[in-house]
Amino acid sequence: MPHALLTRGLARRMAPDFAVRDLSLTVPTGAVYGLLGPNGAGKTTTLRLILDLLRPDAGEVEILGVNARRYPAEARRRIGYVPERLGIPGWMTVARALRHHAVFFPSWSRPYAEELLLRMELPADRRVRHLSKGQAGKLALLLALAHRPSLLILDEPTDGLDPVARRDFTELLLEYVADTGATALISSHLVHELERVADWIGVIDRGSLVVETPLEAFRRSIKRLRVGTGTPLPGADGLPFDVLARVQRPREELWSVRGWEPAMGAVLAERGVEVRGVVDLDLEDCYVELLRGRGDPEEGR
Amino acid sequence: MLLSVEPSSPIPIYAQIVSQVRAAVASGDVRAGDALPSVRQLATELRVNPNTVAQAYRELEREGITYVQRGQGTFIAEMDAGRKTAEREAAGEALIARMVDEAFRLGLTAAEVLEMVERRVALGALADGAK
Repeated sequence: MPHALLTRGLARRMAPDFAVRDLSLTVPTGAVYGLLGPNGAGKTTTLRLILDLLRPDAGEVEILGVNARRYPAEARRRIGYVPERLGIPGWMTVARALRHHAVFFPSWSRPYAEELLLRMELPADRRVRHLSKGQAGKLALLLALAHRPSLLILDEPTDGLDPVARRDFTELLLEYVADTGATALISSHLVHELERVADWIGVIDRGSLVVETPLEAFRRSIKRLRVGTGTPLPGADGLPFDVLARVQRPREELWSVRGWEPAMGAVLAERGVEVRGVVDLDLEDCYVELLRGRGDPEEGR
Repeated sequence: MLLSVEPSSPIPIYAQIVSQVRAAVASGDVRAGDALPSVRQLATELRVNPNTVAQAYRELEREGITYVQRGQGTFIAEMDAGRKTAEREAAGEALIARMVDEAFRLGLTAAEVLEMVERRVALGALADGAK
């Protein structure tokens, strides 16, 4: 099965001015797929649609080859889900939360849950409401892993965690992925964090998928050009790449471009534009330039 | 050998791992028969995608820098002196090329760059002798 997760034409209106529109995600098996987007872009809504926690107005979801709209329970059992906020009542102890969760998952492994509990140094008899943020994050991961899912869906999993807890969380996640070859779909607005672990990215903006590509290809295609100016520069029409943004500098302009290939320097030279330098961007720069090119106000990250 | 990656570098993470292992071989930091950490170990340590580490390891094997012993792991391959010298020279060339490009961009002349390099090399030799 080449794809762990497919959505086709997924749509859901959430408010008069906000909807997820015609969303088609393709998450290859074994990928660590980073779902990026500004706050309010529709990341959480998308994940909830995939998990059947929200009914779509239209569209299909296929999880590990199973039609998730027709067989939601079967699909759900093979997913490990780390929600944005731990959905366990605060009065439950950690041990009780585990038992409570295990019931829903036939493949739940008690020995593995015990092992994770020890590794995570979680106090079994503590009430969930008395856990630290870091502990709550680890408990959420434990509850997502103990039934050994083939697909992990994580919604802003490390948001609000301190650096130590964040590191522990990432290590446990990567170990699981390395051991099982599981696919992971991680939504985040923490771009730097995804840059390390993701090999695929999708960018959502205002309810639509803007880009979906291997991370390296994304970074290869978005560049900043230093362009010499003596005379006013021609417009960007008819160029073989998209100009996302132009910034004036003394004696030069900076162009953020998408779809760049080195051979295109010659095309520009023909039009009397001198490329003085091509600057590589990191993932965050690429992401910000891409969204700016869509005419967005700059969003917080 | 201590590997580290810079995720925001324009060089892909897998290529950073490959070039660091090559450099460690060229400098004698690791020797034939030394084991590399497992994919799982290195991925966790560097906090990068296991697929990325696996990609780097495949590349190293393809280039003959390492070999895989079934069920045992990945090891540094035997390399003859000529190859080792070639590896060292290639790494050095790449380093110098980057430096010279930058220096010319600053507007330095060839003579100025050469003089600076000579001075620096002499200083380095002095510091080495003092150890």
